[in-house]
Amino acid sequence: MSSNRSNKVLLLLVLISILLLAGMGLRIGDIPTDFLDVYHAVFNYSEQNLSELIIREIRLPRITIAIIAGAALSIAGMLMQTLFQNPLAGPYVLGINSGSSLMVALGILSGVGFFNSELGLIGSALLGAFVFGLFVLFTASFIRSQIGLLLFGVMLGSFVGAIITILEASSQVDALKAFALWSMGSLNGVSVDQLPVISFVFVLGCLGTLLIVKPLNMLVLGEEECRLMGFNVKRLRLSIVFITALFTGLVTAFCGPIAFVGLAVPNLTRMLFKTQNHFLLLTANLLFGAFFVLSCDLLIQALSETILIPINALTSLVGAPFVIYILIRKLR
Amino acid sequence: MISIKNGAIGFDSTLFSIEDVEFSRGQVHVLMGRNGIGKSAFLNTLSGILAPIEGTLDFDGNVFSQYSSKEISSRIAYVSSAPRGVPFLSVDDYLLLGRYKHTNVFGRGSASDLAAVLDAKQLFDIEHLSSKYTNELSSGELHLCAIAKAYIQQTDYILLDEPTSHLDYANKIRVYELLGQLAKNNNRGIIISTHDLDLAFKFSFQFYLISSQQQKLFSISNFKEVEKEFK
Repeated sequence: MSSNRSNKVLLLLVLISILLLAGMGLRIGDIPTDFLDVYHAVFNYSEQNLSELIIREIRLPRITIAIIAGAALSIAGMLMQTLFQNPLAGPYVLGINSGSSLMVALGILSGVGFFNSELGLIGSALLGAFVFGLFVLFTASFIRSQIGLLLFGVMLGSFVGAIITILEASSQVDALKAFALWSMGSLNGVSVDQLPVISFVFVLGCLGTLLIVKPLNMLVLGEEECRLMGFNVKRLRLSIVFITALFTGLVTAFCGPIAFVGLAVPNLTRMLFKTQNHFLLLTANLLFGAFFVLSCDLLIQALSETILIPINALTSLVGAPFVIYILIRKLR
Repeated sequence: MISIKNGAIGFDSTLFSIEDVEFSRGQVHVLMGRNGIGKSAFLNTLSGILAPIEGTLDFDGNVFSQYSSKEISSRIAYVSSAPRGVPFLSVDDYLLLGRYKHTNVFGRGSASDLAAVLDAKQLFDIEHLSSKYTNELSSGELHLCAIAKAYIQQTDYILLDEPTSHLDYANKIRVYELLGQLAKNNNRGIIISTHDLDLAFKFSFQFYLISSQQQKLFSISNFKEVEKEFK
């Protein structure tokens, strides 16, 4: 039971780090502010004060979305890895992001009115992720090999990439620029008014995951065993795809594609905690994912005067080598 | 009691037929037959994953298909011929999954759940494996754990597909003895398939042979009848 206590200590340390980093992120920037400004900006906001304005309108949304994006993608990755019993699965490599990307590209590049509205954008990103999730789920019933499924995801990504390129080639300059910026991935695109909706969808996804923790624990033994134990496997698989799509679509709509978080963090947490208890894994992915993306964002802010790094580039720089490390360990 | 009348068993096409057979509680029922004759298909049928191609399958007096998969799972446990070890899934956590009907909504076990796990570990003599991960076990150790998990499920019936194939001689005897005790002392109905022809006959079980010549299931009473089949 001592490992139980050390798990709790580790999770608590990460939680404290997140709070410290978030506090730092709110205070530090081009325009120096102090903690009193932060306090006022959050609890006692006045538009007249420039420091408070910057904290509330710029930094608060960025920090919040960094935390939510990291947590959401990591939990989505955990769900995909358990569903496909494949440590190399994740919303990005399996091409579930691509569904959202395609829909967002259609929205921004085609100029059709419905897609351009905020609700249309979120809705279509969620729908795209869900449809592609179902597509991958369907394909997984034919492709049993773990690497094979991954290749399928990569192909799906390439295929969608081609369609997006065609859309780009026939687009107006303004739309093209907007889409190019979106596709780099950015945590700056969210406004403070959007935070309630984003938080609501995120909490919904977390609650959904919490409700299927027990079947997830059983799913680790395989679908047949799960069925023999009396679980409705079909419904479970659909719930997993639905929740994954909710998380992936949400993040993709607001931040653009963010690679490797959903693959690397769940692997890291499984290695650290050495468990298949999905209640613990859910908590760990939530905290470690938030910590990872928040740290990436602060690093980007710190380097912003020297070099501009899009968030998608940074997570790939860190995540891709880690995934290669896992691949080598697995295939050796 | 699980019973079949005028049944035909198989995955896609009929492998063998059954006139009339009844598997009662309080007994160990042993299925024998050549490779590919349909023993696994039969166990799958009895556990409700596979429908019989023909005939009626009855379970405690009702037609089997009337039961929901939830009801069946709380009364029949199934141990596959090749349980899979999972990385980072410890033996303790694995066994606790057998108590899933009792654990809380997050899968956390109460004191009585942990007591049930401990009881099974002692019975099957696998306490030393508690904190090992299931993918690090030998196939024999893993199989013992899988049987222990089925025991923990506390179902009326336990179906086991070749439960002793990965075990050494001493453990084979141990498992047969344990299954005999579970049937007698706990009034469980136990149905297994096996290739341990001569060894199994040392125990007072019920024996059945699926004959490859007649493609039919027979009840048999001595080793000689099996010997002919495998000559």
